[in-house]
Amino acid sequence: MFKVLSPGIFTTVQDLGRQGYTHLGITPSGAMDEYAYRWSQKLLGDDAGNALEILLHGLTLQSTAPTTIAICGADLNFRINGISHPIWQTHQIRQNDILSFDQRKSGMRAYLAVKGGFHAKRYENSFSTTLKEEKGKKVEKGDTLAFTPKQSRQIIRVPQKYIPTYPTHITLRTLLSYQHSYFSKAQKEKFFSTDYILTLQMSRMGYKLEGEPIIPTKEGIISEGITYGAIQIPPDGKPIILLKERQTIGGYQKIGSVLPIDCFMLSQLPIGATVKFEPISLEDVQEEMKGFYGFFD
Amino acid sequence: MKIETASVDSFILYFEERICEEVLDKVQHAYHALKKLPYIINLTPSYHSILIEYDIFKYDTTSLKALIEEAIATESSLNAHRQGKRIEIPVDYSKGLDIERIALLHNLTPAEVIAKHTAQTYRVYAIGFMVGFAYLAKVDDAIATPRLGTPRKKVPKGSVAIAETQTAVYPQESTGGWNIIGHTEFDDYASFEIGDSVRFIAI
Repeated sequence: MFKVLSPGIFTTVQDLGRQGYTHLGITPSGAMDEYAYRWSQKLLGDDAGNALEILLHGLTLQSTAPTTIAICGADLNFRINGISHPIWQTHQIRQNDILSFDQRKSGMRAYLAVKGGFHAKRYENSFSTTLKEEKGKKVEKGDTLAFTPKQSRQIIRVPQKYIPTYPTHITLRTLLSYQHSYFSKAQKEKFFSTDYILTLQMSRMGYKLEGEPIIPTKEGIISEGITYGAIQIPPDGKPIILLKERQTIGGYQKIGSVLPIDCFMLSQLPIGATVKFEPISLEDVQEEMKGFYGFFD
Repeated sequence: MKIETASVDSFILYFEERICEEVLDKVQHAYHALKKLPYIINLTPSYHSILIEYDIFKYDTTSLKALIEEAIATESSLNAHRQGKRIEIPVDYSKGLDIERIALLHNLTPAEVIAKHTAQTYRVYAIGFMVGFAYLAKVDDAIATPRLGTPRKKVPKGSVAIAETQTAVYPQESTGGWNIIGHTEFDDYASFEIGDSVRFIAI
């Protein structure tokens, strides 16, 4: 197991989320950046099933047993016994090794998977932590994170071409959907030409953006189901992109939805980064999503 | 009925944009039909819509649209599910923190408020806000009460409450702006389904 010497800002166990329960009001939850998460699993030969989602730096763990781990996602200056090591690869961990993440260099969230997986409680067939539903809890100092010690001999690395750099400006490909017809042509033009800024209001539930407000022609809607990446426009006109821990239903207008792959990247952007929305058509992007999931299956 | 794209892997099915039993019956009927389709990841019914998240490897958009229409058309008649399960919820109205205020507001006695709340059969119009929170309607206009100006920091689990013409039970402790009229030990929140019928029984 790992002993938690320092818990970091917000460390939780996640997997691909809890699907099939939104009709009960249960949020899917799951890893915010599925790209990095899925690589952490693939590196361990899909012999993990979950990972720690580590938000920013500050986490320090000590291992009580030898194991193999994989770390992908944000560069938080990963060290073993004080020595910096590269990520997007597996590492052999010996008994008493100290693993630490002490400085954010790029990205926001790193995923640490352990061979065989963490022994965590499942709720509705998922390990994903959702605090507001009292499913799991955040990692705290003194906790023990149990796993069955298992090692693989080989070190496996993600090929360089698949390792992302996390920019401070990205384009979010967006399907116009839901109440987009409530927004005039001029409002849509404003929406697609504004550089929106990421604010402190970023959580696993969603990201609130700062920038040109856009105003719908009608007020309020009847509450309806909210999909991953939906762009909600509250009364102040500033978009909110709803992510893994979104509420299942809501009554604000939505202008469209961001392509999941772009939401994964968004989850790695820091406060102050900017995004621009770009309209796309369904035919353009469904094949790309299939390519993404197909690559990892 | 119309089927619209919501995202790269979801449709949203809309009925008339109204909150009423007639529309709810259609949502309930379609929901039961769609539950039988394979490779659907999440179905989220609400007042006049159903969000359908699907496996993009199993369906293309055109064929799924046709399948949705066919499933709803061939589902046994609209009346088959009418009003759904019947759920009875025992309520201790003596624990209603706001019942006297509601009575005063409407020029009624607390006993009359209780009589009006227990007289109606409510339907489940939506589930959300928190896990198992079922929006029940419609409350008698004579006791319909606006939300509190300042939400309470702590509404106890099992609180039975009113907001405008909706009523609900808080499935867990939470913040909340609804008017509390009683308390229940009822705990089977996972049994609520869209369209179900609910009655409150004074104990």
